[in-house]
Amino acid sequence: MSLSRRSRSYLLGLFAILAMSEVPAHGERNQEPFLRMRTAHFYDVTWSTDKVKVNEDVVIEGKFRLFEDWPANLPEPDVAFLGNGTPGPVFVRTESWLNGRPAIQSVPLKIDRDYAFKTVLKGRIPGDHHVHPMVNVEGAGPLMGPGSWVQVAGRASDFELPLTTLDGTKIDNLETWGVSSVVGWHAVWIVIAILWLAWWTRRPLLIPRLVAIDEGREKLLISRSDLMAGAVLIVLTVSVVVIGFMWAENTFPRTIPLQGGRAVVKPLPRSQAPVDVVVERATYDVPGRSMQIRASVTNQGSRPIQFGEFATSGLRFVNRELPAAMATVAPNYPKELVPPAGLRLGDTTPLGPGETRSILFDMTDAAWETERLTSLLNDPDNRVGGLLFCFDDRGERIIANVSGPIVPIFKDLVAHQGMTH
Amino acid sequence: MSAQLQENRDSVTLYGRRWSRENADLSRTFDILVVIIMFIAITAAFHLHFQLTVGDWDFWVDWKDRQYWVTATPILLIAFPAALQYVFWEKFRLPIAATVCMLGLTLGIWITRYSGFHTWSYFPFSMVWPATMIAGGLILDAVLLLTGSALITAIIGGMSFGLLFYPANWPLLAPFRLPMEAMNSLVSVGDYIGYAYTRTSTPEYLRFIERGTLRTFGGHSAVVSAFFSGFVCILVYLLWWYIGMAFARVATLPNRMKSFMGLHDRGAEGKDA
Repeated sequence: MSLSRRSRSYLLGLFAILAMSEVPAHGERNQEPFLRMRTAHFYDVTWSTDKVKVNEDVVIEGKFRLFEDWPANLPEPDVAFLGNGTPGPVFVRTESWLNGRPAIQSVPLKIDRDYAFKTVLKGRIPGDHHVHPMVNVEGAGPLMGPGSWVQVAGRASDFELPLTTLDGTKIDNLETWGVSSVVGWHAVWIVIAILWLAWWTRRPLLIPRLVAIDEGREKLLISRSDLMAGAVLIVLTVSVVVIGFMWAENTFPRTIPLQGGRAVVKPLPRSQAPVDVVVERATYDVPGRSMQIRASVTNQGSRPIQFGEFATSGLRFVNRELPAAMATVAPNYPKELVPPAGLRLGDTTPLGPGETRSILFDMTDAAWETERLTSLLNDPDNRVGGLLFCFDDRGERIIANVSGPIVPIFKDLVAHQGMTH
Repeated sequence: MSAQLQENRDSVTLYGRRWSRENADLSRTFDILVVIIMFIAITAAFHLHFQLTVGDWDFWVDWKDRQYWVTATPILLIAFPAALQYVFWEKFRLPIAATVCMLGLTLGIWITRYSGFHTWSYFPFSMVWPATMIAGGLILDAVLLLTGSALITAIIGGMSFGLLFYPANWPLLAPFRLPMEAMNSLVSVGDYIGYAYTRTSTPEYLRFIERGTLRTFGGHSAVVSAFFSGFVCILVYLLWWYIGMAFARVATLPNRMKSFMGLHDRGAEGKDA
């Protein structure tokens, strides 16, 4: 059988499209914009490498702020857990720290406070994996930070996770620890069950037995040896349970229950020279893919400041004319999360100490669409939120919260109305 | 052969009734077909019930705690065996329903743990191994056989079903309760496995586990939980025995539609007569 020329062309085209298409990440863009704009804002996120072999580490570090304008429909982060957004256990998490404290347990966090995190992941399953920092908040779900692709090379079968327990037991590989015992005990019970079923199913089963009961001969269905077998089964079952229990007690005399306590982590200290931002009007130009925020900004510090970055939902609109701001963008930070036009200001004059000024912030990029943040306009709670990074003349950074209602501008509709009127 | 089964060249006596050899063979073929179909159906239905009710407590090694896992699993598991025991015992005098349920469940669980959790989602078996429930099923069947009473099976078998679950699983679980130190914290090996192998949307706090509420019982949470579970199993067993009875009845309604359409309902006529 041979394919026609046209069919071959179609097939080639299909393969080409499949080969070119980007491997999909795991749906972070499907999270509602209010979740991504007004809950956990991640910043200073770094990935130690974008390529590891199986058994090698990648370290993800950074900070996050739990936003001041926390959505009213979400519970406060009284119970939270530092996770990592990966496609399942393709990495193994060997360490995670929150402000230098172990993050193996859940913790209460505070709104409008900052936390530094560090997660160590060990490559396990080969492939290209999208790796995010993440905070899970009870009732709010997973709150994802920015994601970067990390390639794991090698063979999955080479992965090992050895450890030593406190009683000195050496575990060569946690992947297979205890599995032979599990399989062995399951096999014991399965064999006993099959023997019991075989005892009964070796005889005619259904219709003859049903007829016998209907005709009042049910006493013939259970023989003395059946009753003996039942008694033996009880003794055997209880004996196997007792023997198994005693074997486990003798083999593993020191055990502890699952640990379900909560940890306590203090937030990072607050900034000493805050900048106060009050949004006057925020608009989103739908066809132009442009967010404009006019805000009254007050510099409550003692040094003049300039505006270096507006960050929201992992996107970083960086003021490319401010070297101090550009220096914060690591070379391996995901390019698609740093829009090329960056942050543009209506007034670039530094804001003096104690001064209040109305400033226009312009963030224009297709990223608003590709990151699906414009679906914000369909939310019942239509507010924009993000962090404004300000730099004083010594290059010191001050982070301010920016939040307020947002108004969409449908230019095509305006033009249409203009023509009809 | 025993008194139950006697045979000669042309006929065979099965449980006190003479059957032609051909009918006996046909009946045996029917047995085999129905047993295969029933085993698959029970496996599928019971496995679905198990996934939806016991769920995470059995999926993960760091959910198998001394309180909720021990309490909830037997209570949720005894329903199917109880209902099927009514059918198997009352209609066929076969004390194998609970064992069939547990064996089918074990087969179904291993298939999903291997294909869904391990192969598809990369979780290691040390994290997702299933508990064994066969011991409880064997006891239920044996007690029903020896007593022939649903009430005594509920009391002795139901209580044993709850009590045996934890000790029967301790040889599987104990290696995962060894203490270890991770990031200056004390955790069990099972805790660490749950921590290390990421479940993206199942953070630590979602675990429905003992968090200290039963410590007032001298630390013997599992014993208290097992007795409570056994007690509730007695009630659940009886409830589901009667549900099995209700579902085993063939209920019919007079066909009113026929009379509306001017036709005679022969069934109703016969009943009247």
